[in-house]
Amino acid sequence: MGLAAREIEKAGIATVVLSVMPDVTAATGASRVVGVSRPPGCPLGDPGDTDTQREVLRATLGAMERIDEPGGRLDLDVQGPPRSKRYHPEEPVPVVALIKRKPWLAARLVSGDIPDD
Amino acid sequence: MTISAYQWTLSVIPASAVIALLPPPAYTHDEMPQITASAEHRIDSFRYVDFATRKTMQAWMKREDPDPIPWVPLSKPLRESRLCIVSSAALALHQDQPFDTDGERRNPWWGDPSYRELPAETRTGDVHVGHLHIDARAVERDLDCVMPLTRAAELVDEGVIGNLAPTHLTFMGYLLKTEEFLETSVQAMIERMRSEDVDVALLVPV
Repeated sequence: MGLAAREIEKAGIATVVLSVMPDVTAATGASRVVGVSRPPGCPLGDPGDTDTQREVLRATLGAMERIDEPGGRLDLDVQGPPRSKRYHPEEPVPVVALIKRKPWLAARLVSGDIPDD
Repeated sequence: MTISAYQWTLSVIPASAVIALLPPPAYTHDEMPQITASAEHRIDSFRYVDFATRKTMQAWMKREDPDPIPWVPLSKPLRESRLCIVSSAALALHQDQPFDTDGERRNPWWGDPSYRELPAETRTGDVHVGHLHIDARAVERDLDCVMPLTRAAELVDEGVIGNLAPTHLTFMGYLLKTEEFLETSVQAMIERMRSEDVDVALLVPV
């Protein structure tokens, strides 16, 4: 997402990325990064928790106005839920299942040497 | 002596099960603790992922070359700005073509590089989730977990945001090869934002 944000910013539209992995987003050179400690797949708030969703959104936009230099990052003081499998997908992630079957392929994923097919 | 259905229910369902089914605590706006943003306190970016994912992400980060970081100052306050939201949750309206999840199942190194447009009025139940790495059930229960169009509309009503763009954007974030995505989908998304006079974009990776 950081790469897309860079292209949008280069095109003249100001961006902010609300990221559950702000270290990763910042490493890609996104212009403004707001970190939130929430599970992947549920960055704004749990289903039905409209207050957390609204306040995370409000704080993210407020942070956007405060960030005043390229690559600026602010993290939100949100107390995320405990780690839980309830945030995991029902179906095994294909690349994870593949590497469980063929563990030697993990090196290609880590190194970025991605097979063509 | 007879017992009512209510009493019978109380007697056979443990209290913990009832509590687990209750909705999250409902705060009034004034009671909800204010969320602050800080440059000093850094969150753990890898709190919710396993060891292998953490190591893979950290290896990828070392290969990134972020400089120079592009920069566009805000041209006006957010309360006067038009906002577009971009989600990487791969949301497709039911009448649109879904993202190609079968392609990724066949070749786990591949991800669908296309994108979809969502009207600002899109709500929970209007979309299919085409991202195999997240829990689609949460998004199916509440779109605003990933694409906060309802919450953003509330902030427009409060005067925090000027207005919402007519169109919001979404793609599938698991892309190990990004060339086609950056050259085609991202450029098309930029054109859409320009055509709708978007001032600021909020990107929400999942």
